[in-house]
Amino acid sequence: MYQYSEQDHQLLLERVEQFRGQVQRRLKGQLSEDEFKHQRLRNGLYLQLHAYMLRVAIPYGLLSAEQMRTLAHIARKYDKGYGHFSTRQNIQYNWPKLEDVPNILDDLAAVEMHAIQTSGNCIRNTTSDPLAGVARDEVEDPRPYCELIRQWSTFHPEFNFLPRKFKIAVTGAVGDRAAVAVHDIGLKLIQGPDGENGFEVYVGGGLGRTPMIGKLIRKYLPKEDMLTYLEAILRVYNQLGRRDNLYKARIKILVHETGEEKFRKLIEAEWQQIKATGLYLREQDIERIKGFFKDPDYQELPDTDADFENLLLSDPEFGRWADKNIDQHKQSGYRIVYLSLKSVNQPPGDVTADQMDAIADLADKYSLGQIRTTHRQNLVLSDVQLKDLVPLWQELKALDLATPNYNHLTDIISCPGLDFCALATARSIPISQAITERFDNYDFINDLGDLSINISGCINACGHHHVANIGILGVNKKGEEVYQLTLGGSAREDASIGKIIGPAFGADQIVDAIGDVLGVYLENREDPEETFLTAYRRLGQAPFKEKLYG
Amino acid sequence: MGNYIKDRKPDTDEWMPFSGLEDSDTLPAGDIYVPLEEWLKNREALLTRNSRLGVLLNNTDDPAALVPDLDRLDLVVLEFPKMADGRAFSQARLLRERYGFTGDIRATGDVLHDQLFYMQRCGINAFELGEGEDLTSSLKAFDEMTITYQPAADEEFPIWRRDGK
Amino acid sequence: MALQVYTASLLKEGLVAYLCLEDGASSWTSDIRGATAGDGDLLETLKIAAEKAERDNLIIAPYVVDVLEAENGWKATTKREQIRADGPTIALPRDASAASTTDEGRKAA
Repeated sequence: MYQYSEQDHQLLLERVEQFRGQVQRRLKGQLSEDEFKHQRLRNGLYLQLHAYMLRVAIPYGLLSAEQMRTLAHIARKYDKGYGHFSTRQNIQYNWPKLEDVPNILDDLAAVEMHAIQTSGNCIRNTTSDPLAGVARDEVEDPRPYCELIRQWSTFHPEFNFLPRKFKIAVTGAVGDRAAVAVHDIGLKLIQGPDGENGFEVYVGGGLGRTPMIGKLIRKYLPKEDMLTYLEAILRVYNQLGRRDNLYKARIKILVHETGEEKFRKLIEAEWQQIKATGLYLREQDIERIKGFFKDPDYQELPDTDADFENLLLSDPEFGRWADKNIDQHKQSGYRIVYLSLKSVNQPPGDVTADQMDAIADLADKYSLGQIRTTHRQNLVLSDVQLKDLVPLWQELKALDLATPNYNHLTDIISCPGLDFCALATARSIPISQAITERFDNYDFINDLGDLSINISGCINACGHHHVANIGILGVNKKGEEVYQLTLGGSAREDASIGKIIGPAFGADQIVDAIGDVLGVYLENREDPEETFLTAYRRLGQAPFKEKLYG
Repeated sequence: MGNYIKDRKPDTDEWMPFSGLEDSDTLPAGDIYVPLEEWLKNREALLTRNSRLGVLLNNTDDPAALVPDLDRLDLVVLEFPKMADGRAFSQARLLRERYGFTGDIRATGDVLHDQLFYMQRCGINAFELGEGEDLTSSLKAFDEMTITYQPAADEEFPIWRRDGK
Repeated sequence: MALQVYTASLLKEGLVAYLCLEDGASSWTSDIRGATAGDGDLLETLKIAAEKAERDNLIIAPYVVDVLEAENGWKATTKREQIRADGPTIALPRDASAASTTDEGRKAA
């Protein structure tokens, strides 16, 4: 992974000192809350329903074991012993004290981490494919490009006061595991007409109250032009994005209101002016960063292991886990392992300090010392040898991190909801827990196949409900928490926005309603191979409506 | 007039803004700056003045409109109507980097301590500090951060291409 | 009209607090049940005390919350304020070393 230069370190130290000064001035009363709010928000520090919340950036979802141990240490020392992994591959602490935050940032800086640009109207942490570098369907590793974007966007002097927040995701694979279609900018590495790799550039995707799928603004962008093109997009957005209405300020609205064709021309015109500037990426610039993401020294191993295969046959529990939570690796003899943060015992995406430490140890022991976070709020050990799968599973089971549900019914994305969030209008976590408890049955989950349920506790849609096969949106209706169902969304390469099926359900009805939706699918699917999404797209809303509302 | 910084030092502001009431022949003597619209309307008359001239750009004005006149202007004033409005950062970079303006670029409006670092990187060199901003602590803001990653008005190359790399 | 209490977040900790007024002295408590509720002149007095605490950099962003009398004291009328007063309605994740069971305290949706 990327190793900080002296200058990278220097920047973090200066930033921590600057923030420490701001906190001191605030505590002494030399800064008003209005003034300080802008500053704390530039450092990922929110004031939530019960306490401050600190969001720590995990650049493109990649963590070293040492970094994970620091996250555990922070959870234990400054918080309530746990952290929450978010849909943007970051981690959030729900209970830090203001006076501790500079010290937390110091501890983070020691392991090359920070909270810079994790909030505010600036370019946020760039997210990516959690299987980057190991996926079989990869065209090219996206992480070097993510790192270049990280450097370009960090304290960018022109783009720190944008009309609204700005999220970029990059994938290098055929399958989209980074939800690039619902980001302000989504970049997808493809092989271009000249045989070289470059990017498809999607602009104007996003969720919130006006969900939109990103438009393909450029079919092929040579990779050397990545940063100049991004700069052109951001400059056009900074100048023309709406600032009169908070809810119309994202770039998706600019793209929509300007029209795709005209927007493309604006970008191209600006880009022509700057494409030959210092931001143009020379081959050696890209190669230097690529050097940080070289393949590890994989061993030449057979793609078979007797212990693993024996246990698959003899232990159904192991077989279930292996079937759901293991993926193919590009290297023979290795596997990708998903650590489910969706156990019935903990809120989605939450991990305790002891679990974090144990995960760090497991990464060191079995997976070359690295951990990835996923946008579906799980973790990944990306480089596990076949022979290690059995002992790894045993340890994960003991840690309650081996629920066999990856990309299945109970692998629910949930925002913190009204239990924590100052913006939420309804609770999310109790609904996700009720669903998980009701359907905590492997055979049922397995039979349903590939399926996503996402829950948001308000219209801001942090739980990505619009792009779930089954989306749940909590709203407040006359003081009651009620839940709307949307069906047919997808965040993958076939991205689509789900449609509201009808009137909302009460908190005591929503789990039954999910059961009904699943029942309609099971009754109507052509065969077990037809996924929920495919079946829904074939059937339309009618049979679901009929069942739900008679 | 609030605290004024030019080229990282406290300074006296000698410029008079156009008040909105004057005709071109009743403008005060001395260095003045006028809104773009006024400039375009009374350009010829203004150019006969025996003083330095500046133009004030609104956030929605295209700096390209000034290109033919930039070598006759000594000042462009950019507005920050509120802290969160960052359009003038782009205007400043265009003036410096694309159009080669070498006169003063001044930030006016909600100009706060914590933006000065970004403003100077975009080519702004004169600052009318916002109300309540402390001059002494603001002067330190230019050096709180010393590392920059990306090209801007102050750096032609990103960090990975500097020092002959 | 319902009675109201003043609530805010403590500047240093960020935690939820409610204003108490006793013999003219004000203090902030984490327990809504012990807050001072009022209307009319009393509410005006609370407002002045809350604004002073904000100026003194003790608390942030004070506002009023409607309350009703419950068994042990005041109770907020909205779900949001009830959760704010009582904490998350779910069990927080805890390590075995730090808690007896994870199920304890989980409440139904």
